[in-house]
Amino acid sequence: MSKPSDLQPARVEDTDTYLVARAQVEHAIEHAIHYLPSQGPIAVFVHHNTLHAFEHLPFEQGVIEGWKQYGAEPYLSEDRYREELSRGRITLEDLDEVLARDLGEKGEQCVLFSTTRIALRRMMLRYQVRNGPDEELRWFMAETDALKKFRSEVSSQTADRMLKEVSDELSAGGVTRAELEGRTLQWLHRICIEGAQSVGEVFNDIQPVRRHRDILLQVHGVDCDVRVHDQLIRFLGCVSDQGFAQWVMPNRERSLFELFQDYYGVTRAFHPKWLQLVASEIADDRQQGRSSMESIVHSLHLLGVREYGVEDFIESTLLSLPGWAGMLWQLESNAAWTPRPASRGTLIDYLSIRLILDIASLRGALAESPQLEDRPAVREGSLSMERLAQELRFHQRRGVRQTVEQRAFLLFQLAQLLGWTPMDLESLKGHQWQALMSEISSFSTMERRRIFHLAYERHYRVGVLDAISKQSLPRKSSGQPLFQLVTCIDDREESFRRYLEEIEPRLETFGAAGFFSVPMFFRSASDAHYIPLCPVVLKPRHFVDEIGQLSQQELQRRQAEARRVWGQASHRLHLGSRTLVAGVLTSLLGSLASLPMVARVLAPRLTSKLRDVITRVVRPNQATTLLIERMDVDVVGGGAGPAPDGNLNRGFTHEEMANIVERLLGDLGLHRFSKIVFIVGHGSSSLNNPHESAYNCGACGGGRGGPNARAFALMANDYRVRRILDARGVEIPESTVFVGAYHNTCSDHMEYFDIDRLPPSHHLEFLEAKELIDRARSANALERARRFTSAPLDMDPHEALRHVEARAEDLAQARPEYNHATNAVCFVGRRIRTRGLFMDRRSFLTSYDPTRDKSDVPVLTRILQAVIPVCSGISLEYYFSTVDNQRYGCGSKLPHNITSLLGVMEGAASDLRTGLSQQMVEIHEPMRILFVIEQLPEKVLGILEENPGLDRLVRNGWVQLATLSPETQDISLYEAGHFVPYRSGVGPTARYPTSHDYFGMHREHLPLVQIAQIGGAT
Amino acid sequence: MNVIQILAAGVVGFPVIALVVLGLSGLLQRPLSESAVDRIAKVSVALGFSAALGILGIMLWNGERVAVLDLGNFVEIGTEHFHFHLEFLFDRLSIPMVLMSFVLVGVIGSFANIYLQGDAGYHRFFLSFSMFLVGLLFAFLAGTIETLFFGWELVGLSSALLIAYFHERKAPVENGLWVWGVYRISDGAFLLAALLLHHLTGEGEFMRMVSASPWPEGGLHIDAWSTWVVGILLLIAAAGKSGLVPFSGWLPRAMEGPTPSSAVFYGALSIHLGAYLLLRMGPLYAGSIGLRVVVFMLGLVTAVFAAMASRVQSDVKSALAFSSVCQVGIIVMEIGLGFWYLALIHIIGHAFLRSLQLLRAPTLLRDYRAMENAIGGRLANGQPIWVTQLSAQRQMQWYRFALERGYLDTLIEGWILRPFVRFFRTCERIENWWMSYLQGSSKKNGDKGKQAAE
Repeated sequence: MSKPSDLQPARVEDTDTYLVARAQVEHAIEHAIHYLPSQGPIAVFVHHNTLHAFEHLPFEQGVIEGWKQYGAEPYLSEDRYREELSRGRITLEDLDEVLARDLGEKGEQCVLFSTTRIALRRMMLRYQVRNGPDEELRWFMAETDALKKFRSEVSSQTADRMLKEVSDELSAGGVTRAELEGRTLQWLHRICIEGAQSVGEVFNDIQPVRRHRDILLQVHGVDCDVRVHDQLIRFLGCVSDQGFAQWVMPNRERSLFELFQDYYGVTRAFHPKWLQLVASEIADDRQQGRSSMESIVHSLHLLGVREYGVEDFIESTLLSLPGWAGMLWQLESNAAWTPRPASRGTLIDYLSIRLILDIASLRGALAESPQLEDRPAVREGSLSMERLAQELRFHQRRGVRQTVEQRAFLLFQLAQLLGWTPMDLESLKGHQWQALMSEISSFSTMERRRIFHLAYERHYRVGVLDAISKQSLPRKSSGQPLFQLVTCIDDREESFRRYLEEIEPRLETFGAAGFFSVPMFFRSASDAHYIPLCPVVLKPRHFVDEIGQLSQQELQRRQAEARRVWGQASHRLHLGSRTLVAGVLTSLLGSLASLPMVARVLAPRLTSKLRDVITRVVRPNQATTLLIERMDVDVVGGGAGPAPDGNLNRGFTHEEMANIVERLLGDLGLHRFSKIVFIVGHGSSSLNNPHESAYNCGACGGGRGGPNARAFALMANDYRVRRILDARGVEIPESTVFVGAYHNTCSDHMEYFDIDRLPPSHHLEFLEAKELIDRARSANALERARRFTSAPLDMDPHEALRHVEARAEDLAQARPEYNHATNAVCFVGRRIRTRGLFMDRRSFLTSYDPTRDKSDVPVLTRILQAVIPVCSGISLEYYFSTVDNQRYGCGSKLPHNITSLLGVMEGAASDLRTGLSQQMVEIHEPMRILFVIEQLPEKVLGILEENPGLDRLVRNGWVQLATLSPETQDISLYEAGHFVPYRSGVGPTARYPTSHDYFGMHREHLPLVQIAQIGGAT
Repeated sequence: MNVIQILAAGVVGFPVIALVVLGLSGLLQRPLSESAVDRIAKVSVALGFSAALGILGIMLWNGERVAVLDLGNFVEIGTEHFHFHLEFLFDRLSIPMVLMSFVLVGVIGSFANIYLQGDAGYHRFFLSFSMFLVGLLFAFLAGTIETLFFGWELVGLSSALLIAYFHERKAPVENGLWVWGVYRISDGAFLLAALLLHHLTGEGEFMRMVSASPWPEGGLHIDAWSTWVVGILLLIAAAGKSGLVPFSGWLPRAMEGPTPSSAVFYGALSIHLGAYLLLRMGPLYAGSIGLRVVVFMLGLVTAVFAAMASRVQSDVKSALAFSSVCQVGIIVMEIGLGFWYLALIHIIGHAFLRSLQLLRAPTLLRDYRAMENAIGGRLANGQPIWVTQLSAQRQMQWYRFALERGYLDTLIEGWILRPFVRFFRTCERIENWWMSYLQGSSKKNGDKGKQAAE
C-alpha cells in the first residue's frame, strides 16, 4: 500500500507541462461532449439521432462504434432475427439478395472444397451456430447426443452422402446406420479439434478496460463507482434543480466547483472514511488555489493517467454517468429558456469534482479492501494507485481469445451443415485450416446480425416500393373537391387521412410540417410563459398572444383571478402536504383524497368529464382571439419569457403573413381550392407521462400545433393578405375559407378554432365536413385500438373512440398511445401517388407537387431540408431505443421517478435516463427510414450535392432513399452515391374493400394493400 | 358460528384463497392469463371488503364493540407449553384499518392491472401483492401476538420482494436487501418482546393480556421494569417498520419498485404498521409516563428530521417518502400524547392522501405547469424561515445534513452492519480454527474447509 504522498507531484501548475496538459484536457472534453446524450430537459422532448456523434461514419460502422463506446447493441439479437426468419418477416430470398450484394464477386469464391463463401454464410445465417464457454461445450458434447446424431437441420441428402463416403472409407459395411453416424461424428469432432489446435490465436469481441474502477471491479469485485454515484446523483440533483425542492440550496449561485468545495470541504468524525479523503483533497486544492481545470490536471496526475491515455480516460469518466453529464452540458449550452440554466464551465467543474470523488473512493477502497475482501491479490498489499495505473495501461483494449474448443465446435457444426466429411478435412494443411478459421470468424455474430438487419429492411422496403409502383398514374383532375384538409406529415395522421378519403372519396388531404410555416413564440390566455412553436432548428422572431375577445375581457379577468387563487391554493396544498404543520391538517382531511383517487382509477373517462364541468368556472372560455397582427404597443401586459426587442416583434406584418401563406400553399402544391380548407395541427395529452412532450408535434419543437393552425387560418382569411397574394399571382377564391383545428392524437379529439367567424354561407358545408371528420375520428380510433392489447378486437368505432378517450385520462395507463412507434417510411410527393394505400400508420406523408416546382426545385429543397433531418431523427431515435432499450433507451417506464424537473431516474436514484421507454417502442420494428421522393433522381442528387448535411445522412446510409418518377411508375433506389433503377416484383398489390376489412382481427404489422373504396383521383 | 363469525372468516378467507390460487398457479407452472389474475385479485378484495363492511354494520346495529374469530391453535406442543394461537379480533381499531386496507389495495390493484399490463413480472407482482394483503389483514386483525407477528412477517417479506421487483438491475436488489435487513432488526425486537410478554403474562391474547375491556381501554399488569423493557423493544420494532429515526433511510430506498407498489406499500400501508403496533399495544404505554415521553420524543425527532430531509430532495419519490416519514413521526407523537383516536384518523387520512400523491407522481411536470399557468409566473421556492436566521456556513451544514439524510444509513452501516458482519466473521474464523484443531490436521486442510463453507 503506497502512501498518497508517493504520488504527490511537484507543483504542476506553474510549468509548461501544465499548459500542455490543460490543452489536452480541454481537447479531450470537447471530444467527449459529442458522445454525451444530447437530450435536454424532458419538458421539451425533441427526437434526434441517438448516435448523432457518429453520423460522419457509415451507418454500419457507426453502430459498431457505438457498441464499442457505450457497450450498446448495434442491431437486434441474432435470435430475434432468426425468429423473424422463421415467421417469414425475413425470407431466404432476402438473405440471398443481401448476401450477394454485400459480397459482390467475392461471394462466388470457394472457401473450402466446393463450398462458396456465399453458401457458407447462408448456412451460418440460416441455422444457429451455437457457442459458449468451454464448460458449457463440454457438457453439451457429453450430455446431449451431439456426437451421436447429426444436427436436426442437416438435410437427409447431405447426411446420406457423408455416411456413404465414411462407410466406404472405413469399409464398415455391416455397421448399423446409427453406429455409423456416431462414428462419423466422433471422427469429425476429433479432426475439428486437431484443426483448431493448428490455428493461431483468434480474438473474439473487444472488452475495453478504461478506468481504474474497471480493473478493481474485474479483478477484485469492488465497485468504487457505487458510492461516488450515490453522492453525485444527490448533489447534482439539487444543484441543477429547476424548482422542485422546497429548500433552495444555499449559495447555489456559485459555480459547481465552488459549491462542491463549500459543501464537501467540511468534514466530521462520523463521515465515512472516503468522504474525509474527499475533504482533504479539497483542502489541498484550496491551499494550492487550484481552479477546476488545474484540479483536473492534478487529479489526472494523481491517477497516473499519461498523455496518450488522457482522451480515452476523460471520455470514459464522463460516460460513466452519461445522463447527468449530458444534462449538465445541455443546461450549460442549450437551455437559456429554463428557470435555472447552468453557468459556463459547469461540465469542466463536473469532471473535476468527479475525479476528486473517484480518487477518494479508490483510495478508500484500497485501504478498506483487506478487511472487506479476503482476496489474495488485495492481501498482498500490492494494489496501489500506481499499480492500478500500470494495469490500466496494460489492459486497455485487450481482446478476449477464442479457445480451441470453441473454435472446434464451430467447425464441427458447420462441417455437418455443409457436408464436409472427416476425410476431406483430414487432408487440410495448416494454412488451409488457418484460412478456413479466419473465413468463419470473419463472419462473426456482429456481421451476421448486420446481414440479417439488411435483409429485414429489404423485405419491408420491397413491399413498400412494389405497392407504390403499382399505383395508377395520376389523371387530369376534375371538379372541385368537397373540402380540403391539411394535416401534419406525422405518421399518426396517415390513417386519419385515409379514413377521411375512405368515407368520402371526393375530398382531398395534404400533409405539411405541422407548424404550417408559422414560427412563433406563443402564449395562450391561460399560460404563464411563451413557448416556441416551430422546429428546434428555427428561432422564432415573433410573439403571439391569445387574448379574450373584447366583450369577454371582464369575465376573463375575473376567471384569471380565480385561477390565480386556485393555483396558489393548490401550490400551497402541494407543498403543505409535505411539511410538518400544514401536513397534519392536510393528512387529517386526507380521507377526502380517497374520493378522487377511487374515481380516477376506476372510471378515468367519467371523472375527467366531471372535472371538466367543474373547472369550466375558471377555465378561459373559447371566446378568444390571437394577436397575430404586428403591434407596437403592448396590449397584453407583462408575463415571463423573453421580452420583444429589436429582432423580436409582437405579431406579423401583412407582408410577412402573405409570405407565410404563399410558402405553405407552394409547399403543398395547393392551387385548386374548395369552399372550406381545414388546417389541422396536432398534439397529444396524457396523464402520468413524463415523456408527454415527446408525443406532441415534432415540427412544433415538442409543442402542440393547434395555435399554428389557427394562426395560419387567420392569416389566410385576412383580406389584406389575400390582396397581397393576388398581386403576386396566388389566387384564392373569395368563397374559400380556412378553418384552423387541433387534433389530439391520443384521444382522437378534434377542436375547431374561430368558427364563429365563419360566414353563414359556409355553415352547412362546415357541419357536413364536421360530421365526416367525426366518423373518420372513430374509424381512426378503431384502427389504433388494434395495437392495444387491452382493447378488445371486436369493438365498433364508437366504442373504440371511448376507449382511446379513456386512455388519455387514465392515470394507470403506461401506453396512452404508441406515438411514432412502427414508423418506417416518409413519402414526399402528391397524395395521389399513395392515395388508397393502407400504410398501417407507418408513413410520414409530405405533400409536394413536382409538376409545379421550378426546374432547380427550390420547393423540394426547402421541404427536404426540414423533412429529412426531422424524420431521420425520429426514425433513428426509435431504432436505437429499440435495439438496446437499456442503454440507448430509458428502460421500463414503470419505476421512473421525475428528478429536478429535468428528467427521469429509475427507482430511488440512478443516472438520468435518456431515450425512449420500453413501453413506447415495444411494437416498433427498428429500421432506417425509407424516403420515397416523387422527383427525378438527378434533381434529388443535385439537392444532396448542395446540402452537405443531408448528403451526409444519405451517403452514410443513416436513411434509405428512393425516387419515384413524376411521369411514370419508375422507381430508383439510392445506392452508394447514385441511383439505380429498382425492379419491382411481379403481381398486383392485394385489394381490400375497406381498411377495416383488411386489419380486422389482426394486431401485428400488416403489409401494404390497396383499399378499393378510396379509388383514384377526385 | 354466528353471522359475524362467518363474515369474519370471509374477511380473512377470501384474500387467503386468492393467495393460494395465485401461488399454486405459479408453483405448478400453470400460469393464469392476466385477466384471470386481475379478476381473482378484484373479486377477493371486493368480497373481503363487503364482509368487513357487513361486520361493521352489524356491530353498529348491535352496539357490540368487539368480535372475535378464534381458529384455535395452529400448532400446539403441550409438553413444551408452546402453542401458536390463531385468533382474529374485530374492534374499533382493527375495523377501520381493515376497511382502509381493502380500499387502498383494491384501487391500487386495479391501477396496477393496467399499469403493469404486458410486463414480464405481472404475475410475480400480483402474487406478492396478495401476500401483502393477507399479511396486512393478519397484522391488523390479530388477536394474539403470534398472529400479529405472522402478518408482520408476511408484510415484510412481500415488501422486500416488491422492492426488488426489477431484479435484473442491481440497485433494486441491493435496496430490497437493505430494507429486508432493517425489517429483520425490527422483527428481532418484536420477537423478543412477544416472548417476554408471554413469559410475563402467560398470555398471547391481547384481550386477556390487557384485561377484559375492549380497546382502547384496559391496562397491562406487569411491573414497571418489564414494561420498560417490553415497551422499548416494541418501540424498536415499530421504528424499523415505520421508518422512524434512525431507520428512516429505508423508505426512499423502497421506491425502486413500480410506482403503484411504492404508493400502496411504503407510502401508505407498510409505513403505518409500526404506528399500528404502538396503538394496539397502547394499554402498555398508557401505564408509563416515562415510556410515553420516549415515544413522543422519538416521534418528534423523526418528524423534524424528515420534514428537513423532504425539503431538500430533488426527486419526487424521495420527497414523498420523507414527507410520509414526517407524518408518521407526528402520528407517533400523537400516540405518545395519548390521542389515540386522533392518531387513527391521521393514519387513515394520511394513507389516502399519500397514495393519491404517489400514484400521480409521474404527472408532476404537468401539474407544475398547470400551477405556474394559473399563478402566472414561476413557482416560488425559498428557504425555511428558521434557516434564514443562520449564518451562511451553518445554512450549508444543515442543508448537507438534510441532503445526506442525516447520515442515518452511514450510522447504521458503521454501527450495526459492520460490527455484525465482523462479529460473525470472527466467529467463523474461530470455528474454522477450532475445527482444524479438533481434526488435528494441517492448516492447509483448514483452509479447504473454509472454502467449502463459503
